[in-house]
Amino acid sequence: MHSGAIDPPGLTWLRVSPKYVTVRLAGWAFGNLLLLAVLSLPLVFVQAGWWHWPPLWLAVAVPAGMLVLALWRLVLIPRQVRAIGYAERDDDLLIRRGIFFQRTLVVPYGRMQYVDIGAGPVERALGLCTLKLHTASAGTDAEIAGLPAEEGARLREQLSARGEARLAGL
Amino acid sequence: MTAGGTGVAPGSTAGAGGAGSPQSGWLRVHPASPFVRGWLALAAIGFFFGRDTFERLLQGGPLVDEQFAGRAPWLLLGGGTVLLLTVLGYVLSWYFTRYQVAEGYVRVNTGVVFKQQRQARLDRVQAIDIVQPLLARIFGLAELRFEVADAGESAVRLAYLRAEEARQLRATILSRAAGVLPDPQRPEAPAVEAPEHAVLTVPPSRLAGSLLLSEQSFFVVLGGALSVVLSAVTENRSFYFYLIPAALGLVAAYWSSFNKGYHFTAAVSPDGIRLRYGLLDTQAQTLPPGRIQALRVSQPPLWRIFGWYRMQVNVAGYGTSGGSGEGSARTTLLPVGTHADVLTMLSLVLPDPGTPEPVRIFTAGLSGLADPSGAPGQDADGGFVTTPRRARLLAPLGWRRNGFTATDTALLLRSGRWWRHLVVVPHQRTQSIALQQGPLARRFGVADLVLHTTAGPVSPRLVQAGLDEGRALFDAQSARARAARKRQSSEHWLDQVRQNTSVSEPAEAAQAGDPVPRQPPQTAGSPGEPGQRGPQFEHRQDPYRQEGPHHD
Repeated sequence: MHSGAIDPPGLTWLRVSPKYVTVRLAGWAFGNLLLLAVLSLPLVFVQAGWWHWPPLWLAVAVPAGMLVLALWRLVLIPRQVRAIGYAERDDDLLIRRGIFFQRTLVVPYGRMQYVDIGAGPVERALGLCTLKLHTASAGTDAEIAGLPAEEGARLREQLSARGEARLAGL
Repeated sequence: MTAGGTGVAPGSTAGAGGAGSPQSGWLRVHPASPFVRGWLALAAIGFFFGRDTFERLLQGGPLVDEQFAGRAPWLLLGGGTVLLLTVLGYVLSWYFTRYQVAEGYVRVNTGVVFKQQRQARLDRVQAIDIVQPLLARIFGLAELRFEVADAGESAVRLAYLRAEEARQLRATILSRAAGVLPDPQRPEAPAVEAPEHAVLTVPPSRLAGSLLLSEQSFFVVLGGALSVVLSAVTENRSFYFYLIPAALGLVAAYWSSFNKGYHFTAAVSPDGIRLRYGLLDTQAQTLPPGRIQALRVSQPPLWRIFGWYRMQVNVAGYGTSGGSGEGSARTTLLPVGTHADVLTMLSLVLPDPGTPEPVRIFTAGLSGLADPSGAPGQDADGGFVTTPRRARLLAPLGWRRNGFTATDTALLLRSGRWWRHLVVVPHQRTQSIALQQGPLARRFGVADLVLHTTAGPVSPRLVQAGLDEGRALFDAQSARARAARKRQSSEHWLDQVRQNTSVSEPAEAAQAGDPVPRQPPQTAGSPGEPGQRGPQFEHRQDPYRQEGPHHD
């Protein structure tokens, strides 16, 4: 239950589903393992004697460094997922994320233009969804990933109802 | 999958909307307009087929030689056919383009084969521009552009109308959008164009000076000096030849800036702020009250010599289009102006500054610097809260400059020691707010606050605010934005004024528990009732002028 220094005090954050770690892991595996395999190709070629450049140490160092970075990211994933939180206040929705690079965002209900709910294949298999709020500003990056599907639907209805009540122009 | 919109009608464009609309009142654009728009194509056709003859004429040969005589009929036939088809296409497209302004909508039908019917709500207007390219200007024509909040291309472009007609249509649209009801006895009577007062003009000499002292010139001089040094060192004269295309490009860039900014005039009318500019192609923009989402006053280092500033705005309809010349011209509120000009424009954009002494605060925002001791909220510094002294290693130059202050109506963010910036965001225009902190910032106990507004050249960001101050501002700002939005309820700005003047008393009682101090209703400088537009406008009190002479 991480709560960073920049969060407004006296808030109870709602957390996303721990199952979202699996989604992030799948994404991590897909991205990083593929990259690792590509970066290891020179090593294979050098070992096989087809290539004379790069030197062996470089061919080893690059994928090794990549592996360390990937593992570091892997270790961070559960913590990052635990750091995602959202809180519904009377007039606005707060969304926080991050431990190292923290961000807390507040979106007034009256400013929402529309709400998106999306789910990728892994998310769908786990019964999760991603909710995204859109305001008139492209800079509003208000996304809550890893919500249980029924919580996502509830939040969507709630946000729509509140947005309707507090509707404001641009 | 996608659902749950908050009920804000898209308002901009509705595909096939005009089906059931009344057939009366449909108008066509000026018959000459396709030719004015497509003169380039016609000229190209003429050039392609006429070049042969023309060249022979130049060479002094006979107009028609032996070899040519055989081909001439075919050439003429081909050229004539292409020309005829083009003209026919123009005429058809003109015939099928019709527009109508009625019942709170502007509708445009276009297309010969693929039909398009577009309608936009008048009260959603974000800006109206009248554009006159050189050729259109010669023929006394003008293009009308109607902008809604879609951050992209113009919702409605009517090209071309007679200049007088375009102005008339603009007046009608603006008065309908403001909420002025047409006279029931004579509903067809044209709306009276709102009176306007010229507020300031940028003299051409200052514009030229500002271009010479711009950032661009700095790099030009730097590049020029570098190439001279290089050619001297390597004794290779061919460097100068490479400079020729660069110089041509530069001349074009300077010319474009000069052409766009020439004779920049700002005027104010009850319909909003009017901006006019242009040497060959002229443009007249109208920004209705309350349409400006964010504003930035900036000063490059060299402009400090003469105390010049530049002002840019975010308007929902204009979008980013920052790079292109026209886009950046449209989002410029003042290409170059003195300190007094900046205050004048601020008084138009933000009629109620929400503070008793705006001149002092805005001056501090433009050029103020915190006390080196770092004590926050220095009185001499207009109440700006700056980066705490502990973070001076993070921003060795800017820490005394980066800061914020909030008035009752707007948030002011200033930054930059050399490139000075002041960003002003009215409270009710904030879309969302984010507080961000990276590991290094955490080490120094500071955080960044980002305000999200509609797309445009201004992206408001408070850098390296003290953690406690930043967090307090984050909370206070969302409360302020909420309170400001509650007061603003109608898209019709005239209704807004009526409402503010009539119901402000009970509303004040109801909001007694509001943590934010209430501001007086925003009547100063806003449009009055249509009958008394002029007088009220004359007598508006201007808080920006209460103080003594401005020091430039």
